[in-house]
Amino acid sequence: MAKNLPLKGIRVANFGWVWAGPVTGQTLAFLGAEVFKIESKTRIDLTRTLPPFGEGVPGPDRSLSNHACWAGNGSVTLNLKKPEAQEIARDLVAKCDVVVENFGPGVMEQLGCGYDVLKAVKPGIVMFSMPAAGLDGPLKGVRTYGLSLTSLTGLDSLTGYAGGPPIPVENAYSDPYNGILGAFPVIAALRHRDRTGQGQHIDYSQQEAVMHMVGPAFMDFAMNGRNAQPKGNRHPLGVAAPHGVFPCSDDDRWVSIAVITEDEWKRLKAAMSDPEWANDPRFESAADRVANIDDLHAKLAEWTAQYDDRDLAQRLQSAGVAAAPVFNVGDLLNDPHYRARGTYVEVTHPLGFKETIYGAYVKTSRTEAAVEPGPAIGQDNDRVFKEILGIPDDRYTQLVEDEVIY
Amino acid sequence: MSAGALEGIRVVELGQLVSAPYCAKLFADFGADVVKVEPLTGDVARQWGPFPDDEPHLEKSGLHLFMNTSKRSVTLDVRNDAGRSLFLDLISGADALIENNLPQQMRAWGLTYEEISTVNPNLVMISITPFGQNGPYSEWNGYDLNAYHLTGASSRYCGRPGEPPLEHGTFSAEYFGAAAAASWGLAAIYGRENAGGGQHVDVSCAEAIAAAFVGGQNIGAYAQDGKFDKRTGVGMSLGAPATILPCKDGHVWILCLETAQWNGLAKTMGDPEWMQLDIFQDMFSRAQNADAMYPLIEQWTMEHGKMEIMERCQANGVPVSAVFTVGEAAEHEHLQSRGYIVEQEHPVAGPIRNLGAPFKMPACPGGPQTPAPLLGQHNDEVYAELGKSAEEITQLRQSGAIG
Repeated sequence: MAKNLPLKGIRVANFGWVWAGPVTGQTLAFLGAEVFKIESKTRIDLTRTLPPFGEGVPGPDRSLSNHACWAGNGSVTLNLKKPEAQEIARDLVAKCDVVVENFGPGVMEQLGCGYDVLKAVKPGIVMFSMPAAGLDGPLKGVRTYGLSLTSLTGLDSLTGYAGGPPIPVENAYSDPYNGILGAFPVIAALRHRDRTGQGQHIDYSQQEAVMHMVGPAFMDFAMNGRNAQPKGNRHPLGVAAPHGVFPCSDDDRWVSIAVITEDEWKRLKAAMSDPEWANDPRFESAADRVANIDDLHAKLAEWTAQYDDRDLAQRLQSAGVAAAPVFNVGDLLNDPHYRARGTYVEVTHPLGFKETIYGAYVKTSRTEAAVEPGPAIGQDNDRVFKEILGIPDDRYTQLVEDEVIY
Repeated sequence: MSAGALEGIRVVELGQLVSAPYCAKLFADFGADVVKVEPLTGDVARQWGPFPDDEPHLEKSGLHLFMNTSKRSVTLDVRNDAGRSLFLDLISGADALIENNLPQQMRAWGLTYEEISTVNPNLVMISITPFGQNGPYSEWNGYDLNAYHLTGASSRYCGRPGEPPLEHGTFSAEYFGAAAAASWGLAAIYGRENAGGGQHVDVSCAEAIAAAFVGGQNIGAYAQDGKFDKRTGVGMSLGAPATILPCKDGHVWILCLETAQWNGLAKTMGDPEWMQLDIFQDMFSRAQNADAMYPLIEQWTMEHGKMEIMERCQANGVPVSAVFTVGEAAEHEHLQSRGYIVEQEHPVAGPIRNLGAPFKMPACPGGPQTPAPLLGQHNDEVYAELGKSAEEITQLRQSGAIG
């Protein structure tokens, strides 16, 4: 595991903010890239102000959720409202391979860092833009938060209880999804650059990327003109049952059970000691079970409700049935599986307090991912402005005084 | 056909349904040569549909047609000695193997990373499973549903209190795992010289979500303070309005957190008096009084259509959006103008519509190049590339090694 990380030698200027853009930077950083988030004390990112804070002390360098989501990104401060700061940002881009940003279309141009300018500064630059709905088209200026972006893809129309209205997902699933997937075109573009010398401006529409998640439902629309509706935890394509989340003995404890094959149905019946209801002809084939799913699920729920969720999952797994407890947030940190995989790690923030973040959620056998704490604002100013850009000490001091580096 | 960004990368897929096929599709749509290895009976996705007019047909399943664009298909039985040997021939010349079989299944087939890396030490093996290659649940039987609900995502973020936590209604965990696998896997291929060779990339769909989605927002707080939250059934409980409300012809996502947005919403709604009340002047106070506020907003939304509400709110700077049905999303002029919906001509299914590239790379464009392959369509072609003569191929077919 002593070998170099795959993206060693790649340098990234990350203008991303809030969540999706910083996660793209984080993904590249896990894989070995040197990533500098550009931010400013004149406009502290909203996510830096979200509680809870390290050791309970409020402050823009102490938000625990911000640190987990931004970890791996370095940080430099530039007040991009000032032309001099924009010039320094361009100088930094000239020393980078990749630029990441998730503003609305046109904002980078206003900051003096549009693609045309940057490619003149650094031929071969890979610029990765990830606006909500892409860089062009009638909805390019659409205002959404990550929370509601999914409404434009059809995904929200699928989420809810069977026969009921759409139920909102209460946080932006699309942000980390797009942040992680965004690294794929960036690396693909680096490969293209290495082979041809040609850079490019990647137009990553978060709407279009997330809409692939409704690909299976889209095909039903394309073929049959049908619009899928919320169906609870039932099989997305309606081909198998039982398929759902069933109550267990304690309050708000549930077990997920997915029976896909006939063999698994036999195993489930056996695990239940072959109750009479399970041998009802209405539940014989997958098609029968899907046709009578309400009754089937009600019967199964009566059975699961007698048991502890973890015990039941273990028992069903021993019988070969795909079943698992439904975890709440409090179950995660000390769960033996996530502990064994090192999913969460405690690190020491540059300001000295301990914080628990997630580590490498993908395990790589030859190279161990780089895990860093969340960045303190401006923690890499010296490295970037003095070492990489070679700004002399006296000018550096002046830039700080003038709140250009700020 | 332009050369894609990943032209020259050779990928073998030993996967079915969603996670591995979607990951491999990303490679294929952007120019990699992806050979999909199917059992003689085909990827189960071929049986899952949806089908035109609901008539099952192995070549007309929507799930298959979506997941497997731009790939070549061969059939091969890895349980058969000659079949396994052929599979090893395939991966000996490949850059990556993408698979989503449970670890004990790969072991039973004699296809662990240890065995595979002796055949091709430069190969990047990308394994995408519900729970990963190690840890107490790694050999659990599991599907998307089981993986998703093991992450805390549903308990925390979706469903009404007292009612079951919800998945999104698609294969969310498998997609998330596929996205992580694509980025980390491509990095391992691209950075092979840095890394000093191939490696095993182990993706757990559950872990990726438990880390990057749920963990990112919640784990620091839980580790420090021992407290955690659960789903509320409302879009956001700390700030309001932030939820989905019904309207005349469907639903809208009402989001209005900043003062300027609230004023924009008031303007759109014709400046009703109640919106001026003190208790509705900031998002926190509005959230505390949400039970009084949401019915008042709903009275207005019920009088208007979702597209009209979205258009008028957006014009006033309010981030309100319509909850598009899948069809409304697909047929929206925005996606039409961006060329997102593509037409393909499939030899059996006929003309089909598909979704285009999930991102645009102008210097080396991607997206579906060819429709999903027929079952075993490329057997002769691919096995000939491995140096098999027509006679040998016939023999392999007769022995049941290939279809």
